Amino acid sequence: MIEDIINIISNTLISMVPLTLASVGEVITEKSGIVNIGLEGIFILSAFTSTIVTFHTADPYLGLISGIIIGFLSGLLHGVISIYLKGDQIIAGVGFNSLAYGVSLLSLVAIWRSHGSSPTVAKIPVILIPIGGYTKLSIPPLSIIAIIVGIAAWWWLYKTPSGLKIRACGEDPRSAEAMGVNVYSTRLYATLIGSTLTGLGGAYLVVGWIGQFTKFISAGRGFIALANVAFSNWNPLYALMGGVFFGFFDAISIYIPIKLQQTTGQVFTAEASLFRIIPYLTTLIVVGIIMKKVRMPRALGKPYIKE
Amino acid sequence: MSKGSLSKLIETLSERLLTERREYLATLIETSSSLILALLAGGIVLAVLGYDPLNVYNILFRYGFGNITYLLDKSTPLMMTGLAFAIPLIAGLFNIGGESQLYIGAFIALLAAYYTHSHVIGILAGTIAGGLLGAFIGILRVYRGINEVISSIMVNWIFFYLIIYLISGVYYNPERPHESIPIPKDARIYPISNISVIFAIAVLASILYYIILFHTDIGYKMRVTGLSTASAKYAGFNPDLSMIYSMLLGGAAAGLGGALLVLGMTYSIDDMLSAVYGLGFTGIGIGLLGRLHPIGIILASIFFSGLLIGGQWVELKTGAPPELADTLIGVIVIALAIPYVYKLLVSRLIQRRVIE
Amino acid sequence: MLPEPIIEMENIIKIYPDGVVALKGVDLTIWKGEIHAILGENGAGKTTLMRILYGEIKPTSGAIKINGEEVDFHGPWDAIKRGIGMVYQHFTLIPTFTVLENLHLSLLALDESIKAEDVETLTRRLMDELGLKIPLYDVVEDLPIGVQQRVEIIKTLLRKANILILDEPTSVLTPIEVEELFKMLRKLKKLGITIIFITHKLREVKAISDRVTIMRRGKVVATLYTSKVSEEELARLTVDIDLTSKPKIRGGIRGRRILSINDLWVRDERGLDAVKGVSLELYEGEILGLAGVQGNGQKELIEAIVGIRRAYRGSIKYLDQDITSLSVGDRYKLGISYVPDSRNIGLVYGMNLTENSILTNLHNYLSGIRVINWSEAYRTADKIVREYNVVAPSLRSPIQYLSGGNQQKVMVGREATREPKVFIVSEPTHGLDVRATRFIRNMLVKLRDLGKSILLVSTDLDEIMELSNRIAVIYGGRIMSVGDKNEYTIKKLGLLMGGIHEQRITK
Repeated sequence: MIEDIINIISNTLISMVPLTLASVGEVITEKSGIVNIGLEGIFILSAFTSTIVTFHTADPYLGLISGIIIGFLSGLLHGVISIYLKGDQIIAGVGFNSLAYGVSLLSLVAIWRSHGSSPTVAKIPVILIPIGGYTKLSIPPLSIIAIIVGIAAWWWLYKTPSGLKIRACGEDPRSAEAMGVNVYSTRLYATLIGSTLTGLGGAYLVVGWIGQFTKFISAGRGFIALANVAFSNWNPLYALMGGVFFGFFDAISIYIPIKLQQTTGQVFTAEASLFRIIPYLTTLIVVGIIMKKVRMPRALGKPYIKE
Repeated sequence: MSKGSLSKLIETLSERLLTERREYLATLIETSSSLILALLAGGIVLAVLGYDPLNVYNILFRYGFGNITYLLDKSTPLMMTGLAFAIPLIAGLFNIGGESQLYIGAFIALLAAYYTHSHVIGILAGTIAGGLLGAFIGILRVYRGINEVISSIMVNWIFFYLIIYLISGVYYNPERPHESIPIPKDARIYPISNISVIFAIAVLASILYYIILFHTDIGYKMRVTGLSTASAKYAGFNPDLSMIYSMLLGGAAAGLGGALLVLGMTYSIDDMLSAVYGLGFTGIGIGLLGRLHPIGIILASIFFSGLLIGGQWVELKTGAPPELADTLIGVIVIALAIPYVYKLLVSRLIQRRVIE
Repeated sequence: MLPEPIIEMENIIKIYPDGVVALKGVDLTIWKGEIHAILGENGAGKTTLMRILYGEIKPTSGAIKINGEEVDFHGPWDAIKRGIGMVYQHFTLIPTFTVLENLHLSLLALDESIKAEDVETLTRRLMDELGLKIPLYDVVEDLPIGVQQRVEIIKTLLRKANILILDEPTSVLTPIEVEELFKMLRKLKKLGITIIFITHKLREVKAISDRVTIMRRGKVVATLYTSKVSEEELARLTVDIDLTSKPKIRGGIRGRRILSINDLWVRDERGLDAVKGVSLELYEGEILGLAGVQGNGQKELIEAIVGIRRAYRGSIKYLDQDITSLSVGDRYKLGISYVPDSRNIGLVYGMNLTENSILTNLHNYLSGIRVINWSEAYRTADKIVREYNVVAPSLRSPIQYLSGGNQQKVMVGREATREPKVFIVSEPTHGLDVRATRFIRNMLVKLRDLGKSILLVSTDLDEIMELSNRIAVIYGGRIMSVGDKNEYTIKKLGLLMGGIHEQRITK
């Protein structure tokens, strides 16, 4: 029993990392008024890139760095399209998701002749803490970083002048501009911060969790992160809690079928799919409940045109 | 036709071409530039991965559009998911749920045809299932304020896994591993003397949608709602209702697409849903490429179908991956994100000067 | 002590790229430490002039001198650095931030490293000096408008402004808040701040200003000492009395009472009362002109009559039927027709001329099961084009390709062709040339003679005087006066629109 709980906590700590990093990052981006639907694409693309890098260098930390770079570049693309070219943010994000998915799969086939998954790569070691007699609680180092990022983001947004400026852009860009804020450049760097954090989370999916790139490496997690942003009422601290909350459901949806198979000895391939519904159903229900109660940044998603 | 009315017809057509010339020209430029951009980007990716882009594109276009029946067959579900994205967007909503609306259409059509041995009932059942799912997303948006992008993605994944479970756990075919129960022979739709029947049905549906959009009050109200909610309220329309209708119609289109796919091409669904996965997302690109117009969508779906088939040939002949199509779609959609708002901007600027 | 000019604007001309001449050579001198009012109607050019002073717009030609030194502003920041602060009608505050956050944000532009605590200290000092109390930790949009305005003023003062420009500051205030504003302005004057006050309200000019400049159609009419001029005199100077345009021969036989509005209360977008207990009656065969400066509740009133907005108190009756809760579509079917003042709302950009021609009348073009009869629609569009001389490439032209004037004609024509019983028009001839204007006005008279009831909302007093059988004046959400046309002169209308009560006006 205790072993199960420790295992679930360990798994939750793993699964909360990408969700939290992306959610906190997107909170910053959306607080400035830009919505980046392309989180899913960034996850996939940075996951793939870190797989290649780690495969060839056998160094998972380089993989993480490559993920960060991909995240940054993706944010740059989205930022330019949304802010300077006044493109439709939703369509640009959706397009990016397709593009990232396509390029990744394309390269997967080209490099490894596989339509499903890549070879396994080195992973980042975890911190193991023995509990009781024989079980160990595994704490991924990035989970600590994710928690720190969440708290730091909250501090930055609400307690510093630059955070004030970001929030101003998201509420009323016209007044912000009139008060001397450069809305365009502020929104751009808010987008870059968000996308870079997401890139880190995407790389982690491979080098910290699954250990290889697969077609379903992300499976909608980028969108769960988006839902988490709304769920947390655009507050990084709540996004952190939400990351743990949704990460928990993500973890148990994988853990329970495996556990059931172990205990009963029966094979549950079909039913395992049923459990995979849990995180998405939870997200839908939660969003349904809180949507009327949260308040999004007033200027979110609307292109700002300087007069 | 009498001489008078013939000349009148020519007069009307040429008048129409001249006055809307500006619009057509702009559309043409946007569409072709996004295509060129996509092909360029795809070419770069191919080159980076070590393939010869010219060779690849050559095979792609030569073989992709060879077998007409297969080409049209394959374009059918794409046409439907294109409509599934386009119709709600005309009313102002982003329907990303074409995936699940197609899945449920295919699955319900499968079950209905299996038990009733009728393709007609299969088609109807699939279409209605897709429509209800679409309407559900619309209702969530109107009454709970839930952003339709998030809700439709969640629903996509819920139904993805749900249907996988149902196919692998309940409705599996004991004789063939990893496949669902098959469509009975008398419910299947086959091409009639090399003409793709499902394509014909899809085109009929597209024409029906065209009529609804431009010749009925429902379509008119949807269009006004998408262009200007304030004008819709001024006119006495109910924007919420129009939005739900648009989702109903969009979901029904995807559902029909799924039904036609399973009744006319695959005759069963595999337990990884690989035959249906991704069609909804591709539909987004098709809807945009087809400029949200049923005629454009028919053409775009044929074009894409050619790309997809050509991709399979490319893999055979050069080893280059067929997933190139997804990449191209992504670039097209991103490139079209800009002119879409460009048009909005232009009309908004005009409105602003009008007020001053 | 001789007056010292602090601002001198010399021969300012402003011509917009589309040819509109907003300012036709304006000379303005503001003295140090005075409260100077700029008085004029909508479109007189007052806001344009001030926006040039504030650096938002560049003049086509002319010079500006501050303290004798010529300046060339490239943007508001240049003006701010020179000590000019502007308080707009629409505040530039982040509505969801607290007062302190807003002030902090605004000061960050001048000092990157300023801390919130320092901002608070400076603000409290200023509040003491002025004797003000503003809750610094409250969210701006929850505060009453009068307090928000004070925040805006504090914001400019914190930026070390010594010249304050206020654009129609009292248009959003209650009478008590107006008094409080004036008290503060007098205090600021004692501290040496120069104040420029843009307004259309005569009583306020008399109440607060030292001198007043009257503008009309892009020119300065006069600059006078406020104490030496009466309200009547001001009204005469502000309002353009064009004696050459005689009122049209009125006529029309008044029929039965068709619309009866009783003690109507309507709220605006912000939740504040915009219509405060209005009662009006409309009769068949008459034109009721509703005069008033924009922003005094007309929009909310007619939206409530049409049904786009719901009144929360009072009733509207059409003949004997209570329509207060009836839907917009049903009201249109009863015979009510509305031409809004904004083409953004009255037309759908992205649709063509014909599609726009059936916008409010869709149900009449449905044959069979909900199918649109486009040939019938084309007939209607054609009728509108012919009867209203609309210049358009074809009936299928996207509406945005027509000129503004022609778009207006389509909108007005569409509603008139429906043969409504009650025809509500807001600014029907705005932006039209002389011929089109005449045409529309004749059309309104014709409709009236056919027995229709017309509610004409207009800021153009010539139009009101020419066309109306009866006139009502709205100010601050209330009807100041209503009566037969010959009870009014343009001068009297000007006074009423400026808020002067009827009893105080002598003919």
